[in-house]
Amino acid sequence: MTDRTDLVMVPTRRLIESPVDAVFALAPGDRALVDVGESVVVGAPIAERLRDAHLEEIAVPSSVDPVPGARWSRDGGSGPAGVRHTEDGGELLFTWRGKWRLATGDVPDPLEAPVAGIVREVLPGTSITLRATGQGIRGVVALGGPTRGKLRLATGASGGLRPGGLDVGLAGTILVVGTRIDAETLTRARAMGIRGVIVAGLASKERRDFLASEARQRAALHRLPSYAVLIMDGANRRPMAGPLMDIFEMLAGSEVAIIGDPPALVFDAPELALPVPPADFVRVRGGALLGREGRWLGTAGARRFDGAVYLDAGRIRLDDGSVATVALGDLERFG
Amino acid sequence: MTNEPRAFATVDLGAATVSVALIGKQARSWRLIGSCALPSAVGPDAALESLLERIRLADPDRLTELGVDGPTDGRMDGSASADLVRLEVRTTPAPTLAIVAATERALAPLVAAAERSGWRTVAASAQTTDPLAMTRMLLDGSTDAILAGATDPPAADERGALGELAALVAAVGVRRPERSIILAGGMAERLAEFGDPARRSGELVLAPAAGVGAAGAPLRDLLLELTGSRNDARRGLGVAASTLAEVIDRRVEVIEIGFDGATRAVARPATASEPAMLDLAVVPGAGLAPAEPDDEVVDRVLAWSTVASDRHRLRDRLRELRIAPWADATGDGLDLRVAAAHASLAQTLAATTDMAAHGAPDLIVVTGGVWSAMPPSLVALTLADIVRRPGASQLTMDHAALLGPIGSIPDAAERRAVLADLADDLLVPLGTLVMPAGLRAGRPAGQLVVHGADTTVTTELASGALVVVPLAAGNGAVADFRFRDVVRLGGRGRGRGFAVDVAGGLAGLLVDLRDVPLRLPDRADSRREQIRAWQAAVRPGTRA
Repeated sequence: MTDRTDLVMVPTRRLIESPVDAVFALAPGDRALVDVGESVVVGAPIAERLRDAHLEEIAVPSSVDPVPGARWSRDGGSGPAGVRHTEDGGELLFTWRGKWRLATGDVPDPLEAPVAGIVREVLPGTSITLRATGQGIRGVVALGGPTRGKLRLATGASGGLRPGGLDVGLAGTILVVGTRIDAETLTRARAMGIRGVIVAGLASKERRDFLASEARQRAALHRLPSYAVLIMDGANRRPMAGPLMDIFEMLAGSEVAIIGDPPALVFDAPELALPVPPADFVRVRGGALLGREGRWLGTAGARRFDGAVYLDAGRIRLDDGSVATVALGDLERFG
Repeated sequence: MTNEPRAFATVDLGAATVSVALIGKQARSWRLIGSCALPSAVGPDAALESLLERIRLADPDRLTELGVDGPTDGRMDGSASADLVRLEVRTTPAPTLAIVAATERALAPLVAAAERSGWRTVAASAQTTDPLAMTRMLLDGSTDAILAGATDPPAADERGALGELAALVAAVGVRRPERSIILAGGMAERLAEFGDPARRSGELVLAPAAGVGAAGAPLRDLLLELTGSRNDARRGLGVAASTLAEVIDRRVEVIEIGFDGATRAVARPATASEPAMLDLAVVPGAGLAPAEPDDEVVDRVLAWSTVASDRHRLRDRLRELRIAPWADATGDGLDLRVAAAHASLAQTLAATTDMAAHGAPDLIVVTGGVWSAMPPSLVALTLADIVRRPGASQLTMDHAALLGPIGSIPDAAERRAVLADLADDLLVPLGTLVMPAGLRAGRPAGQLVVHGADTTVTTELASGALVVVPLAAGNGAVADFRFRDVVRLGGRGRGRGFAVDVAGGLAGLLVDLRDVPLRLPDRADSRREQIRAWQAAVRPGTRA
């Protein structure tokens, strides 16, 4: 074939997403501080999450007509000037035997918007959805909470990071680590004030250890700022994809955010002309050539592979000039 | 000339795989012209273009005869497949049902019913969960619908908690009016507390109580009905299983293992004494690649893996399988898929134990992307390893994923006609599995004489062994078994001698003389060695 229309056989991975609707989960008792249609700026508090939510039973005067999900205000007593005021008492859940069950708590944690945007939906007890200003790069999973910081490349596409590679000068940054990182480095980075890490792969053991550490940290009285790990590819060791690395290089030094739902890096850099890979650029995402990149040469038909398995394959020219025949399922391209 | 199409395409768009096929009319019958399966990320249009291009290259005149425009000069730009009539079904991610009941005892059958009726579940009872946690679960953004149930009439230990439970669910219903609420069993009496159903955008459904076996069928059927879209592939499989049973007049079992769930459909044609029967189960929890592989999932897969691995490493591989189901499908990747298929199949059977009452079917049909990536002998062995059911069944594969699309044809007569035409094309014969039970371990079991059309093959049988007798697809034979001990052979009863009609296939005749149920060695290395030996037994030429 003279053209590359057979490239449609290679699964496409979306490089840049826009718009990005970031969802922040709420639990009963949490208080949304924004309304639908409201614009929020970076760092603006959008909700208060209760650390110690519990149920209380209250009698509601017959003069009011409460509904499930409404906020309940209680008498806050007299202020310094002798003026009585009310304070938020919690969220009404349901009525039972003439009394309302109220979700309330004493220790609220503010939830700050990691990105600027417009509030699309507020569902008390469920979630707030914010349409972010800017674009996003989707990962496969984000661990931790939403965060924000200056993007900084800690390693090249094939590099890894050890605890000794961290210093306090990196505080406030989101680090791009090429290949892989361990839980010890992740927890040390959090302790040093680093806001997040972007990595190609994170092994399940490191993931479990980090999540346990994160849960302990979240339960502590004095919490560190929100911190997140964004995994771009999966659990195996592999280099960061070239097209992603090119974008990260362009964004280095810019303020970016990591959100958990959807798992993505969000940035607002309209002035940057983001690099787009050539149409025939392909990357190997499985098998013996995992992480290698090259150019699409064409389909190779059904081939017999190890284990007497027949799969549709394609021929690619790798970055070192050699030609390889790779199962189509092992390839991806970026669009 | 008429305007009636002489060809149409079938599309089965799953979470991991898109399967497309071209069906054409030849000599007044519908025939399968060609099919292919690709990663679903490729999309149905590109997959169809690719198929048409392959057919064009193999037989340039065929498309012209069928009135189908193939890609011009190999250009796969979507123009060629645009006008093709399509029969398309999809597999969508299973919705999540939040289930609540007053007691754990009342909750268990509700969860069991939902888990085999196409729902992912989260569940809590008032006995073990406080109202705040329960409200959080019901309000959670990932919940799609709510099932509140009680036994009918409510048991003594339920009655005290039902009032508060109904108030809690009703309040959630006020806050999230778009969510369907199902009130099952004794909970239906609380309908008045849920206000005017007309003011809700979600449905308010009254359902029968959960039950075991046939008694639970009405609730299971209702839950299944509430999950599906019109072109749901898994419900199509159920309808197609029923039609296939009718067309070939045999008891049929369809087993689908998918990326995000599994299906089991048992169908029986009508007889003089019994009406036709279909029992369909959709089990989202039995998918090949669970979103979050916990220790239980990892252990189930590890038990069938021939590659030495620890839990962490295997979890990594399962996560990779989830993220990119078509990647790394050879070598160790094949082992992972075979082991995961074992685990998924075992989960499917565990969720549908009540189907055991239907007995061994005459024909087992497997379908789903994972099977097409496995050599046929391993498909047959996987079934033999997990479906430990004494009897004799023919094994086949829906290689072109046609059953789902055909099951979506709304008109029964048309569906039957299409299936009757395609019956010989859509099922690839894998062979016949014969599994006696009751053999005494560690000694010769008897003799097998296979009387084929031209030859007779005699094989000595030993208990604990897997015996493969090559028998090509399309060939039938009579397998004459002479056992030393009295054995059970499913519907054929007990005895020492059996003459079984067997059909050939890609895996031949597989006689499984291993224990029923199967016992695997406890030690991991011994287990791997044993599994390798079984695989080598059915795949001559491979290393044990």
